[in-house]
Amino acid sequence: MNVTTASVQFTGSAQSYLSPTGVEVAFILIGLVVLGSALLVVTVRNLVHAALWLVVCLGGIAGEYLLLGAELVAWVQILIYVGAIVVLLLFGLVLTRAPIGHTDELDVKHRAPAVVVAAGAAGVLVTVVVDAYRKVWLEPRAAVPLGTGAANGAALFKYWVLPFETLSVLLLAALVGAIVISRRGADGDSDEPESVGTD
Amino acid sequence: MNPDSYLYLSAILFSLGALGVLIRRDAIVVFMCIELMLNAANLAFVTFSRMHGRLDGQIFAFFTMVVAAAEVVVGLAIIITVFRTRRSASVDDANLLKY
Amino acid sequence: MPSILAASTAAASNTAPFTAPHVEWGKLSPMLIVLGAATMGVLVEAFAPRAARYRLQVGLTLLALAAAFAAVIALHDTPTSVAAAGAVAVDKTTLFFQGTILAISFIAVLVIAERRTEGGQDAFAAQGGSVPGSQQEREAVRAGWLTTEVYPLVLFSIGGMLLFPAANDLLTMFVALEVLSLPLYLVCGLARHRRLLSQEAALKYFLLGAFSSAFFLYGAALLYGYAGSVQLSNSDPHNPGIAQAVAAHAHGPALLYTGIALLGMGLLFKVGAAPFHMWTPDVYEGAPTPITGFMSAATKIAAFGALVRVLDVGLAGSVDVWRPVIEIVAILTMVVGGILALTQRNVKRMLAYSAILNAGYIIMALVSTGHDALASLLFFLPTYGIALVGSFAVVTLVRDAGGVEATDLSRWAGLGKSAPIPATLMSIFLLAFAGIPFTSIFVGKFAVFQAALAAGAPQLVIVAVLASAVAAFFYLRVIVVMFFSDPMPDGPTIANPSIAVKTALAVSALVTVAMGVAPAALLHLSNAAAVLAR
Repeated sequence: MNVTTASVQFTGSAQSYLSPTGVEVAFILIGLVVLGSALLVVTVRNLVHAALWLVVCLGGIAGEYLLLGAELVAWVQILIYVGAIVVLLLFGLVLTRAPIGHTDELDVKHRAPAVVVAAGAAGVLVTVVVDAYRKVWLEPRAAVPLGTGAANGAALFKYWVLPFETLSVLLLAALVGAIVISRRGADGDSDEPESVGTD
Repeated sequence: MNPDSYLYLSAILFSLGALGVLIRRDAIVVFMCIELMLNAANLAFVTFSRMHGRLDGQIFAFFTMVVAAAEVVVGLAIIITVFRTRRSASVDDANLLKY
Repeated sequence: MPSILAASTAAASNTAPFTAPHVEWGKLSPMLIVLGAATMGVLVEAFAPRAARYRLQVGLTLLALAAAFAAVIALHDTPTSVAAAGAVAVDKTTLFFQGTILAISFIAVLVIAERRTEGGQDAFAAQGGSVPGSQQEREAVRAGWLTTEVYPLVLFSIGGMLLFPAANDLLTMFVALEVLSLPLYLVCGLARHRRLLSQEAALKYFLLGAFSSAFFLYGAALLYGYAGSVQLSNSDPHNPGIAQAVAAHAHGPALLYTGIALLGMGLLFKVGAAPFHMWTPDVYEGAPTPITGFMSAATKIAAFGALVRVLDVGLAGSVDVWRPVIEIVAILTMVVGGILALTQRNVKRMLAYSAILNAGYIIMALVSTGHDALASLLFFLPTYGIALVGSFAVVTLVRDAGGVEATDLSRWAGLGKSAPIPATLMSIFLLAFAGIPFTSIFVGKFAVFQAALAAGAPQLVIVAVLASAVAAFFYLRVIVVMFFSDPMPDGPTIANPSIAVKTALAVSALVTVAMGVAPAALLHLSNAAAVLAR
């Protein structure tokens, strides 16, 4: 449902300004793929399929970055998100022995209010955007040197050195912490609890 | 081309992610939906970066991705540890703590 | 300061040489010491023999905190400035927050390091991943294994807390938020006893924390869209920050308002304000008690520091917009905290709801961007934080058979007769929370109420006074149970703690009383420290 209304909005806003150029057509197509796959991530009952649709969605977003001229962000998106994060999530699903196939996983009691809340949030955010940037124009074919690796690297190490270094600390902390919380004995024979109590 | 369109996409994606967090029960899928929200924020950052002609937004997107990677490491470690002791990754089964 | 246009033209022509940024190492030294010590702690884990690790880690942690505190003292008269290419604001408020976080963390680490109450075991699981009650775990306990990685993780978290209130742009603030949070999510799941509860607390804290940081991020994106910068304030006219854009009414206000709302959700989650408080009681109950004491006090201080910076520096120009929202949040937080605390039978959960209630008082001080309101907040936070650490330290002493903490209120009956010293200390902290005169929090509350009145928000003060009356009931109930009922025949035992915990308890109680009787010094300090780099 969301997909169709969204597509109407996209074509509508595009037609009101300009005949569709290649960029716009590409945007609309990729946008539909992104929204459709995101909807599937949220609704599909098969957990592994949800993870696979997430790959499609994140890949589509990388495409949008390319259209916006942010080439480095796009490739990093593919490398980190599609290449690392989703693979880790799939490992997680395998390790927790997620049921393959249909589950009753989606049958939450509060589904209706959740849908209302999300629709409300979407409404507010879309209205905000309409209000804010009605008059701004973006020439798709204009050369965009902004997103190159050189420019990003220069900005990163000129102005964002401290957060960058802090990020390395964050990765170290996450690494050490993850090992600590999941570490077991070296023998690792059986992890069957003899008595699972709450203490 | 009107940059609004990218922002609509981002806004709807964010709301879809939030919806997923509210209706999903498997902790890993809840986390996937949070990733959708982070990506929506990144898309907004990159769009604004293009509109303002300044790189800050793209830099922010890089940082978000690395933070998301760290988060997924921590999150999966916690989820798998909970699963080992309890044999289920469903958020609703985590009910020893009452409201 | 980040002028990207220059960078992009340079990249296009590929000729301009790269100039390394100037980093003011001295001004960043408190953070660098703590994060450096955390990294060294990781090396200790890798190379030191198992038997020596505990001593090395505790020594290293305490030494780093003391050294960082000394660095803060040494920096105390640095002129207000921004450091590290505009990422960090070094002003009196930053230094006050950093000093407070370091001092409270020092006391909290003394409690975290306690091993004597349980005969050589600390509060953490010997092995985080082993199943509770399994053969494997018994072997690990018998071998005397300790999870000493907790200390570097706590140090990482403290490093994030030091950066959080100092961050001068939303990007640094976001990274600091994550450095602060991720190690805490993990140590929450490491309790030795009641492991399932602890791991579920970690899971809940992690999922809700990640959810809230997504809101923070989207709010930051919208503010970036509004202002064209993620810096909170920048006086350079070529690179205006958010504060300058707000003053100049850059774009449509809807983007600004929604950005403030989403950003605020992320920050208010961290301070545990209603309606984003749901995680607080569960996480406080499930986490190892020494960690609860540490994070309830230190995280709250750091998060309020960040809130102050966002609201008073970045968004001061739109105070009329966010002030009513903050007022509603303050009222809601006080009402929820006060009423739900009444129904609690578990001491840790009761303290958690009391923490929500007190967050409400502190939020009252945010309604004004003036000097007095900030000074009252700066007075309240350390006095409240130290009493909180002390009260959770008392909770660690009351043990049932098997070493499990007796957190049910009924188990505390007659504690005043069987263990007069812990009961008296707990009473001091509870009386302080209740805002009884001659305790530090009474003075703090008085200052906050005065600031709220001066800011023209009498309705907040009325709600706060009513909430205080309700709160006095449930604080006094604990004291009545401890002193005016008979001890149970199979009542809990009181552990005899090490000298470190005794010191921590004595210092907390002493500060709580001394700051109530003679608050002048801290009042003077917080008044002088209420200076922000705008």
